[in-house]
Amino acid sequence: MTRTRKPGISRRSSLALMGAGLATLAAPWAARAQAKAIKVGMPTILSGRVAQLGTSSRNAVLLEVERVNATGGLAGRPIEMVIRDSKGQPQEAARVARELVNTDGCELLIDAEASSGAFAVHEVARDLGVLCIHTNSETSSLTADPKQRIPNAFRTARQGVHDSIVGGSYAASIAKAKGLKKWATCSPDYAYGRDTTGEFVLYLKRFAPDVEIISESWPKLFQPDYTEVVTKVLQARPQALYTCLWGGDLTSYIDQANIYALFGQMEVFAVNMADYTALTVVKNLPKGIHSGNRYIKTYPSTPENAAWGDAYKAKYGEYPTNWSWENATAIMLLAEASKKANSADGKKIAEAMRGLTIKSPFGTDGTVTMRADDQTLVGYAIGWGTTIPQEPYVPEVKPGDWKTIFELEAEWKKSNGYS
Amino acid sequence: MTELQAAPRGKPLNLPRLETRARYRDALTAIVAFVVLASLPLFFDSKALLDFVIRCSAFGLFATSLNLLVGYTGMISFGHGMFFGLGAYSFGLIMQKTGVPIPVAFIATLVLSAVAAAVIGAICVRLKEIYFAFVTLAFQMLIHSTILSWVSLTGGDQGLRGGIPRPVFLGIDLGNQVHLYVASCALLVIGLLLMRQIAQSPFGYTLRMIRDNAARASFVGIDVWRAKLTIFVLAALFASTGGVIMSLFVSGAYPEFAYWTISGEGIFINMLGGVTTFLGPMLGTVLFLILNDTVTRFTEYHGIVLGIVILFFAIGLRKGLMDFAIEWYAARRGRGEQA
Repeated sequence: MTRTRKPGISRRSSLALMGAGLATLAAPWAARAQAKAIKVGMPTILSGRVAQLGTSSRNAVLLEVERVNATGGLAGRPIEMVIRDSKGQPQEAARVARELVNTDGCELLIDAEASSGAFAVHEVARDLGVLCIHTNSETSSLTADPKQRIPNAFRTARQGVHDSIVGGSYAASIAKAKGLKKWATCSPDYAYGRDTTGEFVLYLKRFAPDVEIISESWPKLFQPDYTEVVTKVLQARPQALYTCLWGGDLTSYIDQANIYALFGQMEVFAVNMADYTALTVVKNLPKGIHSGNRYIKTYPSTPENAAWGDAYKAKYGEYPTNWSWENATAIMLLAEASKKANSADGKKIAEAMRGLTIKSPFGTDGTVTMRADDQTLVGYAIGWGTTIPQEPYVPEVKPGDWKTIFELEAEWKKSNGYS
Repeated sequence: MTELQAAPRGKPLNLPRLETRARYRDALTAIVAFVVLASLPLFFDSKALLDFVIRCSAFGLFATSLNLLVGYTGMISFGHGMFFGLGAYSFGLIMQKTGVPIPVAFIATLVLSAVAAAVIGAICVRLKEIYFAFVTLAFQMLIHSTILSWVSLTGGDQGLRGGIPRPVFLGIDLGNQVHLYVASCALLVIGLLLMRQIAQSPFGYTLRMIRDNAARASFVGIDVWRAKLTIFVLAALFASTGGVIMSLFVSGAYPEFAYWTISGEGIFINMLGGVTTFLGPMLGTVLFLILNDTVTRFTEYHGIVLGIVILFFAIGLRKGLMDFAIEWYAARRGRGEQA
């Protein structure tokens, strides 16, 4: 019998395949040779339940990078973003971050990870000494705890404790004005939900001591059905409800609670309501929900902020998220710090960034500051207002007072043994 | 004889002679493998390569130990990841809280994992098939939930923060990537060698017999429960070693390490590599990590790519790659002999 061709891939085509594979792998090197671009690595979550975190972070970063590159980049070097998915797994976040620095030659890191992933990337930054800006983790201890601190890591996100202080004082003023004494809470059952609710209640009681919590519910993260927690709240008959549910969870909760006309029966304080991810998705947005601002283009009510929100919408067809402004701020700060240091070197940028105040559409007074002693962002827009069912959704926002925030934050740090 | 039935590819075995010779061969292979791996940093200046091998060590130990249960004993555990997580957390916590030298912490981690595995195994191994799978999964979720809710000890869903201290011992500094790399390679090779010894020992053949016909094994006089429990505990030790390597690599421990997705990845790796050969899971690990790393570089829709790959293996090849390669090789040789 003569030998016939074996089924499957022939040797020649496997060689061709390998060649194609090599060419793909080699492509980045060819690109690098053309311009002295500075590579900025960005591990984030681009798949799964919270993929919106990654996509809206990426959108904002790319929008800002375009602007920075148009005006000369970082000390003359254009920024080139290398953005990778970590799937929300911390070991992948660590792996991706290391690979970005060690293999792809990224000189700076934007850590757009959430919760545990951010801590994993933080350890990589500690290990490799590369400049790293955390943009999405709002966990206070990431920058407040001196044991975590490293000179090359910064944060341009909100901080949990800031939100709680402002929320607590705002809620207390409404509670006093309307005589709301009986409160219920309903928050997702994980670290963010528990900590944020605990701190909110702490400051609410501090400003309005006769407040009493009569019911607590802890639905699971990403729970589809909230009937049980809605009825539990209704049966307790509180005068006010606090919730830090967010995104899809918050919208499902509101849609389901609407069936029971919950919002007519009590004042509702939903810290994460005033974000387009929730505002535009809810079917019937009830009037008068109290909410902290996440990102909304009407607060701060400046032309710069409105222009930024519109530019984003024009480019991507949707409004920015809370994550968007946090990531955009990272690029703005990088650009300003690099201008000040007249260098694209990570160490020099870090030096220039400490204590740097920059003009920003997201600042309470048009500026934000990278506080020098704990390398976290302060002065960003933070406030509370009430909703209306149509745009602009939250017409008036009562700004939080940064002086009070600083005082109480210092006290909070002391009580946690952080200072 | 039952041993004959259980032997690979149905070839008759002359056990005692083969055993000593095979043992020397295995030890020699292990030494050569270690020397080759350990000398890689001398020739390649790629940190990513070292990272890759470190992760291969962690997942390789984990997947191979899972194969001791799945392939050799026929116990499909859906909760093997709990020992990976347990290893990472015990080691990280011991290092953070007590500051003992690393080898002491490592031994203590193994002891802890063994105790946990003995307790969990004592409950689980009586059950068969799907019941065993589900109860192991339940225990995994129990451990995962405990990690999440015991915030004061484990840091809850933020994980163990602040880095794992890695004091120098015997001149080895695991904070140094090359040192960590060589240590991981050593753990991997020693772990694989030990598992190979277990698999090829009379006890290993007892396990195959239990897999093929537990009732018969029991009639021959084997204490099936005890044998299953023993391998469950042993497998847990190697999985936990994998967890230790991973915690050193990321300098932390996170609840995801004890989540069911890690167990799922273990099963996935075993399907990729194949469960009928000893090195199948190791090949599966390398394949899985290469796939994972390259696919995530190019697309965020990696789920669909990995899904297609696993479909190809499950429906196309109907076996893992190593199984396929060995059968293909045997068939080719068979054809050669005929001609």
